Amino acid sequence: MVRIWTCILAVSGVFLALGSHAFAEPTAKDLNRALTAENAKLGIDVKPRELVGDLGYLRRVSVDLIGRIPTREEIDQYLATPAATRREKAVDKLMADPRFVDRWTTFYADLLRLRYNSPGGQAALAFVHQAVADEMPYDEMARRFISANGKAGAVPEVAYVLGDNADPMALAGVTSQVFMGVRISCAQCHNHPFDKWTREDFYGFAAYFGKTRRYENDFTNTVYTQEVSQSIVLWPPAGEGEDSERKPMNPKFLIGLSNASVTPDYIARLEQLRKPKPVAPKDPLAVAAASVDDLLSGADERVKKTAKGKVKDEFDVAGEVKAERESIDLQAEFYNSSELRSELARLIANPRNRYFSRSFVNRVWKDLIGRGIVEPIDDFSDTNPPSHPQLLDFLADEFVAGGFQLKPFVRMLVLSEPYQRSQALGVDSLKREELESAFLAVPARRVLSEVLYDSIVVAGHLFEYKHPQGANTKTVSERIRIAIPREGEAVSPQALAAGGTQMKAQMGTQIASTAGYSLEKGIELDFGAVLKSAKEKAEEAVVVEKMAVKSAEELEAERMQMQAGAGRRMRYIYKTVERTFDDNPIFGSSFRMASPSAPEHFIRVFGQTDRTEVGTPRDHAPSMRQALMMLNGGMTHEASRVGPFEPMHKLLVGEKSNLNEAIALAYLEILTRKPDAEELELATSIVKDGDTLLDGMADLRWVLLNSNEFRYLP
Amino acid sequence: MTKGCQDYRFSRRAMLGASAATMMGFQIRDLLAYAGKDHAAKAEHVIFFWNGGGMTHLDTWDPKPGRPTQGEFEPIKTSVPGMEISEIFPEFAQQMKDVALIRSIAGTNGDHGRATYNLRTSYQQSANLTHPGFGSVVVSEKESISDLPSYVSISGRASGASYLGQRCEAYFVGSPGDKDPYLAFPEGITKARGNKRLEVLDRFNGKFAGRTTSDELTATKTSVEDAVRLMRSPALKAFELDKTPIPTLERYGDNPFGRGCLVAKQLVEQGVRFVQVNRGGFDTHSNNFEAMRNHGEIMDPALASLFEDLRETGLIDKTLVVMLSEFGRTPKINDDGGRDHYPSVFSCFMGGGGIKGGQVIGSSDKDGYQPEDRPVRVADLHATLAHALGIDHNKEVMTPLQRPMKLVDNGAPIKELFG
Repeated sequence: MVRIWTCILAVSGVFLALGSHAFAEPTAKDLNRALTAENAKLGIDVKPRELVGDLGYLRRVSVDLIGRIPTREEIDQYLATPAATRREKAVDKLMADPRFVDRWTTFYADLLRLRYNSPGGQAALAFVHQAVADEMPYDEMARRFISANGKAGAVPEVAYVLGDNADPMALAGVTSQVFMGVRISCAQCHNHPFDKWTREDFYGFAAYFGKTRRYENDFTNTVYTQEVSQSIVLWPPAGEGEDSERKPMNPKFLIGLSNASVTPDYIARLEQLRKPKPVAPKDPLAVAAASVDDLLSGADERVKKTAKGKVKDEFDVAGEVKAERESIDLQAEFYNSSELRSELARLIANPRNRYFSRSFVNRVWKDLIGRGIVEPIDDFSDTNPPSHPQLLDFLADEFVAGGFQLKPFVRMLVLSEPYQRSQALGVDSLKREELESAFLAVPARRVLSEVLYDSIVVAGHLFEYKHPQGANTKTVSERIRIAIPREGEAVSPQALAAGGTQMKAQMGTQIASTAGYSLEKGIELDFGAVLKSAKEKAEEAVVVEKMAVKSAEELEAERMQMQAGAGRRMRYIYKTVERTFDDNPIFGSSFRMASPSAPEHFIRVFGQTDRTEVGTPRDHAPSMRQALMMLNGGMTHEASRVGPFEPMHKLLVGEKSNLNEAIALAYLEILTRKPDAEELELATSIVKDGDTLLDGMADLRWVLLNSNEFRYLP
Repeated sequence: MTKGCQDYRFSRRAMLGASAATMMGFQIRDLLAYAGKDHAAKAEHVIFFWNGGGMTHLDTWDPKPGRPTQGEFEPIKTSVPGMEISEIFPEFAQQMKDVALIRSIAGTNGDHGRATYNLRTSYQQSANLTHPGFGSVVVSEKESISDLPSYVSISGRASGASYLGQRCEAYFVGSPGDKDPYLAFPEGITKARGNKRLEVLDRFNGKFAGRTTSDELTATKTSVEDAVRLMRSPALKAFELDKTPIPTLERYGDNPFGRGCLVAKQLVEQGVRFVQVNRGGFDTHSNNFEAMRNHGEIMDPALASLFEDLRETGLIDKTLVVMLSEFGRTPKINDDGGRDHYPSVFSCFMGGGGIKGGQVIGSSDKDGYQPEDRPVRVADLHATLAHALGIDHNKEVMTPLQRPMKLVDNGAPIKELFG
């Protein structure tokens, strides 16, 4: 065992070396040149907006790379770096931060619609997290998701096929849209009215999934996929001919790959990059003649080994996954590999498939710059051409030539001019559109819901305790109902009437009262939550668990069962009880929560989708629910309060107090900038207006956290 | 003219999606509403009971006395001669003059997930598209007449709004009667202090918005204003039961279902358009009769009290009450004294809201296996509800992929229910 382990690590070391360093990184300067040239060609002659200021850049790039705003320490360190290299140094530091992996796992989870509560979903999330950490090339990741077979949870990638119940029709539409930005699902039922896809195209594409079946074993409670010999994708479609005439459809790929007899520069560079290290090549000719496909399958093996040996990280569920993986490998043969889907994966994630690389780079571009070169980002078609075709091809070529690596590609983007441009403020919408469509100004961009959450937490010093233990002990009153016992019956815990108390008694601490969140938190702490990990204690996480573990209908059903035992129509007495708890909450990162969250959860209310429907973008439109959560939510409230353990405290209380500095710190911590003179004056009046300076500062911080400036990027 | 679910969306996508339904913000519905009406719609509100798990039809609305499939319950007479229901609803039986029973629903799905989807949306589940729940459809079409959210779901979740947008999502109430902490300033923040914060925030956001012409910032402002209006609204008390006299609580039954009915009534009184009250525990594969007796004891007094009170306040004519479940249960009783999933025929009730009560629509065969008279398709139920509300069930809206979808999947209203 030890020997195998060492061997795997050795191989993965080689792979990582290949992945990270062995190619010429594309530069932001090349990108700038490509954009300028194309804008000139398009006859666009407007002055670009200035690059965003240093602090604005740090805020933007921190949010985009590590999913939260910068801390005061990070700001100080950044400003202490020489101006000429400041931005590049900051980017390098952020890209090495473990939070980069969390942030970009979410990108893939949205893309692949990974759901923790679907079969194998948790394992898939953990797998992607590991893959991002290991810098697995995107083509490799795509091939694995498209072709995997096996047991949910044990083979993490199979979650992709199981996510659509291994339904060939669904998977055809989803796969072409997700991996190639091509929408063919309309052609399932009719020839596409605006596009070239026919029903026959759709059926031919679906046929790649036709032999995959989903199985469910009720006894062992497992779900898995398997290949069978008979395809269920038949042509002509049901109802359009005699059943006896319907024959299995032959798989046919939609997209023409670029001419194999020509080797463009980016393919040559990829081949060079992926050429196996000359470990005593016995036959030099064989290496020279290695086709792209050969190189790809070599990469397969390396990554497989890497992932197996290294399923270990801080992500919550990875431990379970690893344990399960190790035990399951012996059964791998049982599931068969899918030849059809392996072939499809090779065609889709092929360097010569322009749709594959273009749709990916367009997504990343949209994520970072706020506007796709093709919009909507997953609708590549003849009738919806890119605004900057050459720029798009430049990006796609560089991505392919760089070995389908996310990190260097993101690095190139965030150091480029189009990323660094300021917004087009103070102009009419026509002018703004002109600038934004030419990528000469960036659109206003609201941060992701996870970013908003984590930014509140970091600005409010809620990742760690900020009050001494016991300093915020509170007592709350709660009216509960207690069932009146029948004659000869004692009041059992089960006889406690409906409501929080009873549910808590029955379900344990995770499912506490459905009453106010402060009460939940109290109960949670009462029942020894102190012993639990910090993540579980986060108020919002408790809400998720409560909702995820059992639905209200289930709870009601269980309650019914209990009532049945306790007798018919129950009578109750009312009693007011008091609970005492220490109100000193801490919060974990929302990027580590089981995702997607429950529908009423903060993360969902601010735009995370349920990841069921393909192509649903995050909805960044404001809503009343969002407003209520920010105005009255426990998290904003706690983030606003000043704790004795944070640097702010001594600027407000004691000998070293300095109100101007305190206000400057609040602005720095929350908005990543200093207040101007007018703001300083207003802020001073707000802080002084409080019962105490601490209260006043809480009011100021509450306002800053609730402000639009906090939610929108500079 | 505001839409039922406040419209904050100004994104290009939303404009595209809404283009079929609106013209420069003007609701074509509103323009047409007064033109070609063939029926004077009476219903303004819906109380929608969702009984999750598949409620047995034979032991509730469609008894089969003297047949091998009868089970343990006897039918009882109701206040309407000739209309009989199961003995587990003795009080509700007295309300039948306002209630119509539909005994010939022909479902097609025996799987919880697919059947729930179908009964809640009128559509069959498809791989490429999620259809909105019926509550979202209603509030996308009926304008808001209250500070309160137009669509509230109690004791469980409603289906999502999908392409109708987040604005048409249900406002979730986990435990009916309990205070929602998000509707008041956080603990320890007095009203005066909270209001002061809001004032300052308005000034800050005003300054920020002054720099740009973004529609989203305007929409954020609207959302905060709506939130504050809701927080300050006297109508908020409709969510709470702490002032409700204990005898009233006990008349409905002081349990989540009874309290859910009371809150639903209070919300409708305050102008809420669609209240969904969820209840589970109907998947009675074993001990069907014991479970149903318990369900009856909880549901019977609550439903009876709800109809009594709606009649007393005069809201009965404007409030459509309907109880749906994803399917019925097998006429054959299994070895565990249970009944299994059965979609081929099942029942529901609709009442109030201008529906002609005191009648039975359709029938199942003598043992409750198949529809006999007047089979009703699932989408017909939604078309009927839409019709009662004056909503054109055939109206098309655009999905994000520019695919036109009808509000209801080709149903036909049950004409007999309308005078």
